[in-house]
Amino acid sequence: MSGLDPATLVLGAGAAAVAAPLAAAGLLQFESRRANPRPPAVAALVVTVLSGFMMLSTWSATPQTFSRGDRLGGGAAFHVDGVTATMLPFVAGCLLLVFATVPRRMLSAGMTTWCLAGAAATFGLFLTAHPILVLALSAMGAGAVWRATRDHPGGRPAARVYAFVMGASLVCAAAGTAMMLADPPWESGCGWVGTAGGWLVALAVVVREGLFPFHVWVPMLFAGAPLPIALLATVPQVGSYAAIRLLLGHADGVAQELVALALLGPATAVYGAALALVQRDLCRLIGTLAFSQSALVLAGLAGTLPMELAGGLCVWIASGLSLTGIGIVAAALEGRAGSLRLDLPQGRFWDAPALAAFFLLFGLAGIGLPGTLSFVADDLIIAGSLAEHLHCGILVILSTVFAGIAVVRGWFGIFGGPPTVDAPRHAILPRERIGCAVLLAVIFGLGLFPRPLVQTLAQACVPLLRHPTVAPSPVHHVPPGVPLR
Amino acid sequence: MSLLAAVLEPERTHDLVAALVVAQLAAPALALLGIGIPPLLGRPLSERTTSRLVGTGFATAFLAALVMFGVLAGRGFAPETVHLGTWFSFDRHAATIDLVADGLSVPYVCFSTGLCLLVNAFAGRYLHREPGFTRFFVLLAVFGTGMNLMVLAGSFDVLFAGWELIGISSTLLIGFFHERPNAVRAAIRAFVTYRICDVGLLAASVVAHTAVGSGDFDRLFHGGWPDATCLVPAAPATLLALLLIFATLGKTAQVPFTGWLPLAMEGPTPSSAIFYGALSIHAGAYVLLRCEPLLQAAPLAGWLLVTIGSVTAAHANAVGRVQTDLKSMLAYGSMAQAGLIFVEIGLGWRVVPLVHVVSHAILRSLQILRSPSALHDRHTLVAALGGQPGAGRSWTDRLPQAWRLAIYRLALDRGYEEMAVARLVVEPFRRLVDRLDAWERAGADWLGDLRLRGPRDREPLP
Repeated sequence: MSGLDPATLVLGAGAAAVAAPLAAAGLLQFESRRANPRPPAVAALVVTVLSGFMMLSTWSATPQTFSRGDRLGGGAAFHVDGVTATMLPFVAGCLLLVFATVPRRMLSAGMTTWCLAGAAATFGLFLTAHPILVLALSAMGAGAVWRATRDHPGGRPAARVYAFVMGASLVCAAAGTAMMLADPPWESGCGWVGTAGGWLVALAVVVREGLFPFHVWVPMLFAGAPLPIALLATVPQVGSYAAIRLLLGHADGVAQELVALALLGPATAVYGAALALVQRDLCRLIGTLAFSQSALVLAGLAGTLPMELAGGLCVWIASGLSLTGIGIVAAALEGRAGSLRLDLPQGRFWDAPALAAFFLLFGLAGIGLPGTLSFVADDLIIAGSLAEHLHCGILVILSTVFAGIAVVRGWFGIFGGPPTVDAPRHAILPRERIGCAVLLAVIFGLGLFPRPLVQTLAQACVPLLRHPTVAPSPVHHVPPGVPLR
Repeated sequence: MSLLAAVLEPERTHDLVAALVVAQLAAPALALLGIGIPPLLGRPLSERTTSRLVGTGFATAFLAALVMFGVLAGRGFAPETVHLGTWFSFDRHAATIDLVADGLSVPYVCFSTGLCLLVNAFAGRYLHREPGFTRFFVLLAVFGTGMNLMVLAGSFDVLFAGWELIGISSTLLIGFFHERPNAVRAAIRAFVTYRICDVGLLAASVVAHTAVGSGDFDRLFHGGWPDATCLVPAAPATLLALLLIFATLGKTAQVPFTGWLPLAMEGPTPSSAIFYGALSIHAGAYVLLRCEPLLQAAPLAGWLLVTIGSVTAAHANAVGRVQTDLKSMLAYGSMAQAGLIFVEIGLGWRVVPLVHVVSHAILRSLQILRSPSALHDRHTLVAALGGQPGAGRSWTDRLPQAWRLAIYRLALDRGYEEMAVARLVVEPFRRLVDRLDAWERAGADWLGDLRLRGPRDREPLP
C-alpha cells in the first residue's frame, strides 16, 4: 500500500466506493426474491465507508486536489478534494447505519435496490466536478429516489411532487450549466449569458435543497417515502454540492446568486423551524426539521472567508448526523407502532425508554446542544457570517430557538402521556442500540474534540475559494498554497 | 499571616487552582457518564450505585470548591483565570475554555455544589423505587455540570453552554412524570420561555464578539469582582446589558415570563427545590452579577432592572397570596425574592444581592423539600401550641374593601399577564404558522393528486 501513488490509491478507493453499492444493487435486482436485502446492502456500504476513509486518510496526508479525465468548465471528470474526502465517508456512514438498523419490514428488495443505485449515483457525484457529470449523476440519484417512492405503498403523491420539483430543478440546472459553459463565469469578463446561467443554477439549487418556497417536497417525501430513501434524498445535500462545484470560485468574486442563496438559506431555516412547531405527525416533523437544518448550509457558501464555508460544511455534517439518528429512532418506533401523531401525547416512553433517550439526544444534537458537533457548527457559521451578514447570525439563532422547541414538543408528543395499554411492548433491538450508540459517540466525539474535523474542513475550504483552472495534463496535483490561476 | 500569604501567592497556587477548577467540572461530568452510559447500553445500574456515584461526584466537586475557597480567601480573593485550552479555532476565531475563580464564582460554586449534594442525598430516599429514578439522577448530574460550567465560566461561550444544560435538565425534570398531561404542558411551556430568552444570551455573545472581538470576560471587564470596570464602549455596553436582562427574565421568571414557574412545580419535589427554590431561579441573577460592570456602564439597563424587579415582586406577592397549593405559593415566593434581587442588582449593589441569593436559596429549598410533610408539620405545630396558631394581620387589611377586592381579582387572574401574552403574542403567531402549514399541505396535496396519465395510475394497496 505504501508504495502506491496517492492518486492511484484515491482513484481506486473512489471506484470501489461507487462500484460496491452498484454491485449490491445489481445482485438484488438479479435475486429479486431475496428474503433479506440487508446483508448485501450493509456489505456494500461497509466497502464504501472503508473506501471513503481511505480516501480521507490519503487526502489528509497530502492535502491536494486529485483530478483525472476529461475537464469541462473548470471541473474534471474524476475530482477528489477536501469536500469529497470529508463528505463521502460521512454520507456513506449515515446510509450504512440506516441500513444496518431499520426494521426488516422497511427493507424491501426493490426499495433497497433503488436506494443502493441512488447511493452509487450520489457517491459518483461526490467524485466529480465535471458540470455535465454533476448534472447527469444528480438526475440519476433523483430518479432512483422517485422510483423507490413511487413503488412504496401510499407513496405516489409524494413521488409526483418529487418528480415535478426535481424535473424543474434539472431543467433549470441543465439550462444554466449550458449557459455557464458557453460564457464561463470562471473566467474574467463574463457576460450576461454566464450570469443568467449562474442564476438558473442557483434556482435549481434552491429547488433541490428545498429552500423556501420550494420546500414542500421534503416533508412530503418523509411522510410518503421509505425512510432510507427520504434520508438518501436529503442527507447528501446534492444541491449544496452542486453549488460548491458550479457557483464557487467565480473570477469576479462571490457570485451574486450565492449571496442570494446565503440570504434565503437562513430565512428558510427560520421558516422551516417555525413550521416544525405545528406539525401533527412525526414524519412531517422530521421533514420540516430536515429542510430547516439543511438550509443553513447555504448560509456559509456565500462567504469570502474559509470559516464561513467551513461552518456551512460543519452544519452539513452535524445536521446530517442528527437527522440520521432521528430517522433511525423514528423508523424503529414506526416499525413497532405504525405512524405516530403528535396532536396528543402518545405515551411511548415505557415502550422503549432507550429509544426515547436516543431520540432526545439526536434531536438536541441538531439544535446546538453543548458538547455536540452542531454547537461547534453553529458557532463557526455564526462567527463566520457575522463579519459580513449580521442578519444571518440573527436568523441562525432564531432557527435554533424554534427548532429546539419543535424537538422538545415532538419528544413529549411521542413519549409523553399515559402508556398505551393495548400496544405490544418491544425492547430496543441490539442492532438498533449499537447503531444509535455508535452515531451518538460520533456526534459527541466530534463535538467534544472538534479540532481534527475543523482543521480538515479548513484545509478543504481554502482551495475552494480560489479560482479553478483548466489544466492540460490528465493527472495533476495541486499542492496547498499554490495559486491555481 | 505573611507566611500564609506568601504560600498562597497566585504564582504558586495557579496549578492548584487549575486542578481544583477542573475537578469541580469533571467530577459531576464523570458521574453523569458513569450513570448515563450503562442504561443506553442496556445495563442500568442499581439505585444505590446510581445515587452513590452522583453523590461522589458532587462531594468531590464540593470538597474541591471548599479547598479553592480557602486558597482564594487566603490571598484576598484575587481573581484567577484558568485557561484550559482552545476547544477549536479557525483563523482568528478561537473558542477558548476559560474559567474564572474569583470572589463571585468560588463562594457560589461552594453553595451550589453543596446544595446539589444535599438534594442528591434527599432524592436517593425520596425517589426510592420510582420508575424514573436513574433518569432523575442523570438529569441532576447534567444540571450540576451545567451549573458549575456557568458559574465558573470566563467567557460567554462557556457560560452559554452551562446555561443550556441547566435549561434542558430543568425542562426534562418538569416533565419527569411525563404520563401526566399537565407535566408535559408545563415542561413545554418552560422550555419555550427558556428558548425565547436564550435569544438574548446568544445575541449578547454575538454583540460582544462584534464589540471587542471576543466573548471572554477579561476582554470585556477589567479587574476582579466586585471592583471590575467595563471595557466596552457605552452604546454596545447598553445593548449588551439589555440583551442580558432579556436573557435572564426567562429563567428567573420575571415579568412578563412568570407564568411557567408555578406550573414547573409539576416536577419531583427534590428538583423543584434545587431548581425553583435555589439555583436555576437565581441563574439569571448570577449572570447579571457576573456582568455587573455592563450595568454600571448602562444606567438605562439598571433602571429597567429595578422596574422589572419591583413589578415582579409586587405581582408575585399579590398572586402568591391567593394560591391554594403550597408549592405554587412557594413558587411565587421565590419569584418575589428574585424580583427583589433584581432590584438590588439594578441599584448597583454587589455583595448584598449575592448574600440575598444564597440565604434565600437555602431557606426556599428547605421549604420546598419539607412541603410534602407540610400537613404533618402543621399538626405537630398545632399539637405543640394546643390550638391553631393565630393568623397575622396583613397590610392589605388596612386597604378599603373595594381596593382589596380589585387586588384579589387581579391576583386570581395572575395579573392578566398570561392572558395578555397569550392573546397578543402566542395565539397570533400560532394562527399564522398553522395557516401557513395548512396552505402548504393543501398545495402539496393538490400537486400530489395531479395525474398525468389519468385514472389508471392507481396506488398499490398498502
